[in-house]
Formats: sequence, C-alpha cells, structure tokens
Amino acid sequence: MRPLRIGLTLRILGVLVVLGVAVFPLYWMIVTALSSNSDLFAAKARLVPDVSQFGVFIDALAEGKALGWLRNSLVIAVGTTVLSIGLGIPLGYALSRFSFWGKAVVSVLLLFTQMLPEALMVVPLFSLFRRFGLLDSLTGLILVNSAFVLPIVALILKGAIDGIPRALEESARVDGARPLTVLTRINVPLIAPSIAATAVIAFFHAWNEYVFAVTFIFTPGKQPASVGIANFIGELGTPIQTVMAVAFMFTLPAVVFYLFAQRHVVAGMTAGAVKG
Amino acid sequence: MTVLKQQQTSGSRSETRRRGSPRGSKWTPYLFLAPAAVFILVFQVVPLVQEIFLSFTRTSLLNPTRSTWVGLDNFTRVFGDEDFHRTLLTTFIYVIVCVAGSVGSGLAVALLLNKGFRGRGWARALVTIPWAAPGIAVALIATWMLNPDYGIVNRFLDAVGLGVPGGAILDSPKYALPAILATTIWQLFPFTSVVLLSALQSVPADLTEAATVDGAGRWWTFRAVTWQVIKPTIGLLAILMTIWSLRRFELIWLMTKGGPVGATETLVIDLYSEAFDSKQLGSAAAIGMVGVVVSLIVVAGSRFVARAAEREAR
Repeated sequence: MRPLRIGLTLRILGVLVVLGVAVFPLYWMIVTALSSNSDLFAAKARLVPDVSQFGVFIDALAEGKALGWLRNSLVIAVGTTVLSIGLGIPLGYALSRFSFWGKAVVSVLLLFTQMLPEALMVVPLFSLFRRFGLLDSLTGLILVNSAFVLPIVALILKGAIDGIPRALEESARVDGARPLTVLTRINVPLIAPSIAATAVIAFFHAWNEYVFAVTFIFTPGKQPASVGIANFIGELGTPIQTVMAVAFMFTLPAVVFYLFAQRHVVAGMTAGAVKG
Repeated sequence: MTVLKQQQTSGSRSETRRRGSPRGSKWTPYLFLAPAAVFILVFQVVPLVQEIFLSFTRTSLLNPTRSTWVGLDNFTRVFGDEDFHRTLLTTFIYVIVCVAGSVGSGLAVALLLNKGFRGRGWARALVTIPWAAPGIAVALIATWMLNPDYGIVNRFLDAVGLGVPGGAILDSPKYALPAILATTIWQLFPFTSVVLLSALQSVPADLTEAATVDGAGRWWTFRAVTWQVIKPTIGLLAILMTIWSLRRFELIWLMTKGGPVGATETLVIDLYSEAFDSKQLGSAAAIGMVGVVVSLIVVAGSRFVARAAEREAR
C-alpha cells in the first residue's frame, strides 16, 4: 500500500510541474498586461494579475493600430484557408483514388517542399512578386502562404480519403455520377473532420506567418499582427502592458482552436509529414 | 516495393472504374491535380530553381537582375570561412539538442499522462498550449521574461542565488543559445508528447501485464514491450524535429538575430543576414542549399535505415 501512495504522489507532483511549465509563459503574459507601472517595476514582482487594470485591453484596441493588424491577419488567414483547402481536396483525391503517370513525382515533391525554409524562398519569391505586382498586397501573402501549407493539407486529406471505402463511390458511379460530383457529394461530407483540422492548420499557419509578411509588405496599414507584434520586440515607445495585451489577443484564438482540434491536427501532421 | 504494389492494385481498380463509368477518362486525375500542381510549380519549384541558379552566381540585393556566373565560388568561399564553420557547429548543436530535448521531454510527459487519473483530459489539453501559441508571441514573451532588469527569470535566478552577472542572458555568448534552446523545446514538447501518448495507448495492456506477472521489473517491461511499440514513432518524430529545427527562423531571429557575436547563428539565420544585411544573394543561396541538402540527407538516410531494418525483420 505504502509505495503505491508515494508513486501516486510523485506522479501528481510531476503532472503539476509539467502543467506549470506549459502554462506559465502565457499566464505571465496576462499578469504583465494587467499590471500597474508601480507593480511592474517594483523590487518584488507581483505574481497575480491586477484585474482593475483590465482597461488596457480596451485601450489597446481603441488605439486602432492593433485592430487593423488583427483585421489584416484575419483576411490573410481566411484567404489562405479557403484557397489551400480548395486546391488540397482535389489534389488529395487524385493522389488517393487514381494511379497516373507522374504520381510518384508529385508525392516526392509534396514531401520535399516541406523541407524548404521560408527564409530561403523569400528572395526568389520577392522578384517573382515584383514582376506580377503582388508586393505590398494581402493577396500576395494569401498566395504564398497557401503554397507553403498546401503540401501538408493535401497529404492529410489524401489520408482521410484513403480511409473511405471505395464501395461508397462505386454505387454513386453506377448511378452515373461524374467524378467531381462523387468527390463533392460523397467524399467531402465524410472527411469533414479532417477538413476542419486542416482548416485550423492552414488558418494559423497564415495567422502566425512572419518572414513573408515582413519582407513583402511596406505600407504600415497593411501589416498583419505578426509583424506588428514582432516590431514591439526591442522597441521602447509602447508600454509593455499594451504590448502584452495585443500579443494575448493574437495568441488566444490560436490556443482555443488548437485545443478543440488537437487530436485530428496532431494525427494528421505526423501522418501527412512522413508517410506521404 | 510497397509503392509499386499499391500502384498495381489501384491501377487494376481504376481499370474497372473506367469501364464502369464512361465519363471518367484517363485525363480525370490530371484535371483534379492541375490547379494545385500549377500552384506548387509557380510558388515553390520555379523559385527553388531560381535560388539554385543564384547560388552559382555573384548577385547583389541592390541590383538583383545582374548576376555574374561564378561556378562553385560561393560554395568554396563559404566552406573556407571560419565563421561558417561556427554556424555549422551551432546548427548541429541546435538540431541535436532540439531533437533530443523535445523527444525526451515529450516521452517523459507522455509516460506521466499515460496512466488514468482524474482530470487527465484537462491536463492533456493544457499541455498543448505552448505548441498552439504563435511563434511571434512566444518570442515576445520569452524576451520579456529574460529582460535583464525586470524579467521574471532573472528575478527568480537572483532569488535562488544563480543569477547571471548583469542579467543579460540573451546578450551573453555563453547563455544565449541555451535560452533559445529552452524556448524552442518548450514550444515543441507538447507536440512530441501528444504523438507519443497516442503511440503509448496502442501498447497492448495484456502484454505489459503478462510481463509484470512474470515478475519483470518496470524498466525491463518498458524496454521489452513499450519501447518496441513506440520505437517507430520516436524515429518519425526525430526526423520531423530535425526538419523543423533546420527551418526554424523567427524565434531565433526575433530573440537574438543570431547574436551575440554569432553565438546563436544557425544556417537559416546566416542565410537571411547574408541576403538582407550583407546583400549577397549568391552566397546566401549557397548557405541555404547547404541546409536543404542536410535535410535531404537526413530524410533519405532515415528511410534507407528504416527499409534495411524492415528487411532484417523479415
């Protein structure tokens, strides 16, 4: 009886330590946002948020810049989600259901492009975008973000379609349905959970993206939140409370959505990334 | 082998499909494929080819349309450079520690969460938070926590008597890389632990029970049963973490810009500052190619090893 107790206590202690480590930095973001100046720079740190300082969130939004950043991020993220899933569903379907010349090349390419760092591609894409007039536009960012997230989206959706019995499609075909109708009426509804997971991945890929946004956007009014927040680092003009309030509003949606889609996202990412 | 087999079976299936439905022709897969393929071609393949070309030229950021072909000059110059040797070493350390740290801590956390207890669902969800948080926000909060004057980390270290003199961890050639590594692993361990947790749950309970009944110790049971089941998952995670670590940019760039005096300069950071600070697109591309080739070798090598092991097992 006795050693069992000790084991259990140790396990609970371990879990609490892990949770503390996992949650603390975000907790600290909130505490910092909700601190008065005197608390912030006092000799002894205040470890709990001061709820009376809640106005900082409203101030941060009212100031206008932050709201514009978040709006731009939202446009880029929604655009990327729609485009990458729109392209990823037919690609995943082709890879799952057909055999054709060049299939192996496409599969290898999808794996290979996942090894390319954004920082490497930013130079040639810059000259490409200048030629097509896509610099300094949200459309350009939607296009490039979709291209970078498309491989993982397509591979996850291919895996999901692999899991649907072909018999379901056969019966629709016997009734004379075209391939596209089969895809949209039979497969798409059945893989809805995977589509939702890829939507989360694509959305937050674009929401978090920094390298392309900081290089391709010049007009301050078109900056997404990732660039706006990154500019806070090492800058001293903005009060740290405002900085943390904006960063928290930027972080919260990602955390909430990932919590919901966690299982599907993780399973999809490991399956898509390596098994191909 | 397996790919070939798959293609044969799906090939014969699409034979019957074609006979079954006159409207699906042999062009059908290409119609589904075309939009995505064009997209990947334009935004990934063409720029990559351009970048490969750049790596054999001398090209300035200020006048990028004028390139002079210099053959392998960039590569020989880069590999002859002492600073680049340091970059390679830093990259190597960064990747190895990231992989070992994230997989090791992920396994520890997964083992902790594997036994049932009240509130496990909550614990599991809360643990994923670091991975879900955007890299930009992580860089920001880490920089603030490591602030020399008011950062909570320094206050804590001072309180327990381990304070860094001056407190400037990110400005110290000695402590900057460990700080970046800690931040990176903090962000990665949720991913590895959730993946390993689902692998652990596929370990057959009757096998571990049988081992325990036979009088096997915990460690032995772990090695003989659990480890055998999760080994492929560990390998897969190691490859994934390697690729991700070789690509990681914004966390390091925003926290230290590769400094102080190059202490945190990985290949990707080096390539970016070569292109945008030194304005040398040619040598920047060469540095980038080194990273891509390393990734390729790791992935191809691991597949080779996995296949050899498979043959061995048969």
